[in-house]
Amino acid sequence: MRPPDGRRALDVADTEASLLARAQAGDVTAFERLSGAYADRLFMLLLRLLGDRAEAEDVAQEVMLRAWQGITRFRGQSSYFTWLYRIAVNEANRALEKRARRPPGVALGADELQLPAPAALDPSRQAENSELRRALGRALADLPPPLRTAIVLRDVEGLSTQEAAEIAGIGEAAFKSRLHQARLRVRAAIGDEALASTGG
Amino acid sequence: MRVPGRTDDHEWSQQHLSHYVEGDLTLRARRRLDHHARDCADCGRGIRALRALVYATRSLGGLAGVRAPETIFDRARSAGAG
Repeated sequence: MRPPDGRRALDVADTEASLLARAQAGDVTAFERLSGAYADRLFMLLLRLLGDRAEAEDVAQEVMLRAWQGITRFRGQSSYFTWLYRIAVNEANRALEKRARRPPGVALGADELQLPAPAALDPSRQAENSELRRALGRALADLPPPLRTAIVLRDVEGLSTQEAAEIAGIGEAAFKSRLHQARLRVRAAIGDEALASTGG
Repeated sequence: MRVPGRTDDHEWSQQHLSHYVEGDLTLRARRRLDHHARDCADCGRGIRALRALVYATRSLGGLAGVRAPETIFDRARSAGAG
């Protein structure tokens, strides 16, 4: 059974450090176990950034390939998770740039950006929540990629500002500025009345 | 809505609402915004809206039902075998 944060549990003997050492020595199975701990979460991030399941699946494979090819260069200056997420954000941006060069008509699928429904809410709250999820999905899909990355990393993923900025590859001050702009745009898109129903 | 002739720093507060909600402001800056928002309906509403937005995105942002595809390591595996 996987822990609730989406990481697949590692065996006690397979600590991250020992798996990393084996992976850096060329053991692809150790690499899979190491990176597999973050696979679900990483895939969810790609879904949110790309809004297209098929593209997210393709980019997820590319992320793991790049990570495998670069594993010997990982020096532990950040956590492995941060390093892997940074590769994912870079690959998602690369895919979005490629998409922008394609002829128009390939729209970002707002449905993919909708957030999963929480359990155990009464029906009226569920309806409100589901409407809010749709609105959030649409608003996130409409953001320019750098702003979407900021709000997904910080608010949806719940990463610290420092970690999110590192993954986005920018300084903390620049990251905060992007996050601020993203929140203002999403607020404007959703409307204060809808937000007031969240109880937050 | 800004009240004409008001002498506070409304624009500065508007630019720092997100930082305020993050808890990122210095004590002095936080007090400055607190002081302004007490009399400014616009900024008060902004703080409530941004708090609600952060709450909404965080509380709805779980991982229910989403699993990475089984193929996620296919390319790495091929490269590793090659």
